Amino acid sequence: MLRSLARLAAVPSGSPNPSTLGPFQVFDRNAKRLQKDRAALREGSRTVDYVRDEVADRMMERFMDIKRTFGTVLDLGSGSGHFTKLLEPERAKKVIMIDSSEMALHRDPDSEFEVQVERIHGDEENLLQIVEPNSQEAVVSCLSLHWVNDLPGTLVQIREALKPDGLFLGAMFGGDTLFELRTALQLAEQEREGGIAPHVSPMAQTRDISNLMGRAGFSLLTVDVDEVNVAYPDMWALMDDLGAMGEGNALLGPRRALRRDTLAAASAIYSALHGNEDGSVPATFQVIYMIGWKPAPTQPQPLERGTGKVPLGDVL
Amino acid sequence: MNPPSATTTTQRPLARLAFHSTATCSAHATGYGKCILATYTDVSKDACKEEFARFAKCLRDAMGRK
Repeated sequence: MLRSLARLAAVPSGSPNPSTLGPFQVFDRNAKRLQKDRAALREGSRTVDYVRDEVADRMMERFMDIKRTFGTVLDLGSGSGHFTKLLEPERAKKVIMIDSSEMALHRDPDSEFEVQVERIHGDEENLLQIVEPNSQEAVVSCLSLHWVNDLPGTLVQIREALKPDGLFLGAMFGGDTLFELRTALQLAEQEREGGIAPHVSPMAQTRDISNLMGRAGFSLLTVDVDEVNVAYPDMWALMDDLGAMGEGNALLGPRRALRRDTLAAASAIYSALHGNEDGSVPATFQVIYMIGWKPAPTQPQPLERGTGKVPLGDVL
Repeated sequence: MNPPSATTTTQRPLARLAFHSTATCSAHATGYGKCILATYTDVSKDACKEEFARFAKCLRDAMGRK
């Protein structure tokens, strides 16, 4: 109750954390929902699917390593279903897609999916208001959790929503994502205006994710990091595409638009500092993949301390 | 991997700024970038003021000309 009040109070941007109840609010979820809605309605929306499709593909490799078939899979923050589209009917019969952006959710018709899909328009941060606890066999999330304010709470909700021995497989942007853009904008603002403001989201680090997954009560954790590198003609093309993906800035708090001088300066710095020899500029998307299981008595457990029969010295 | 999009229309003001800052005034942009590159561990306000002034003038001229 208190949490939902805090969230309601935090929705109008301009005053982050007015009463500091509940989790710290970093992102303007409402602005993000509008950005994603608009992005999905844009004509060229499908042309900027390349990052999500690539990461969905790499997530699917990890999913295929899990030798199990599922009745239903819940795709949290599915967008237009980048991961779900790759699912084969042999592995999962049905997928429930949840996203806070209704336009993104309904962008692609059912005919593009091989599995049966059900779409639910709902907030990823309030998963347990959408599904019952102990109800899901598997939850997947492809590039959505990096816009969640309450990441620890969301992970706990995912674990709660799972049945015992249920699977969570997630991918989110982290760490060094867009560090080239971040540094170029910071240097430009520092040199032109004498101070910096945040324009690129803060990102979770890999070690944070391991800790958060453990804290949320998942067992048998696997966390790994991978990069998607994309070359763009210039910084402007990168920013255009980010906007078209619905991945524009959605930080809460007093917004200061970048001045055009500063943008031009950032473009020059981006090329000088990070540019490729052929004149293009690289952008790094670092993706953290996480796999965790809801604990169950049937899972392999570590042995009791002191029950080892073979001295370690003999083995080494 | 290359993005298939990246449109360069010369209609919107920001798109024109994008074009001029990377094409028309690329020489001045490089000059400014090199200056920042030389000092990027300790950049202060107006550290590359002259270089940027040349870059900005080029941009203004280009933008005004349409």
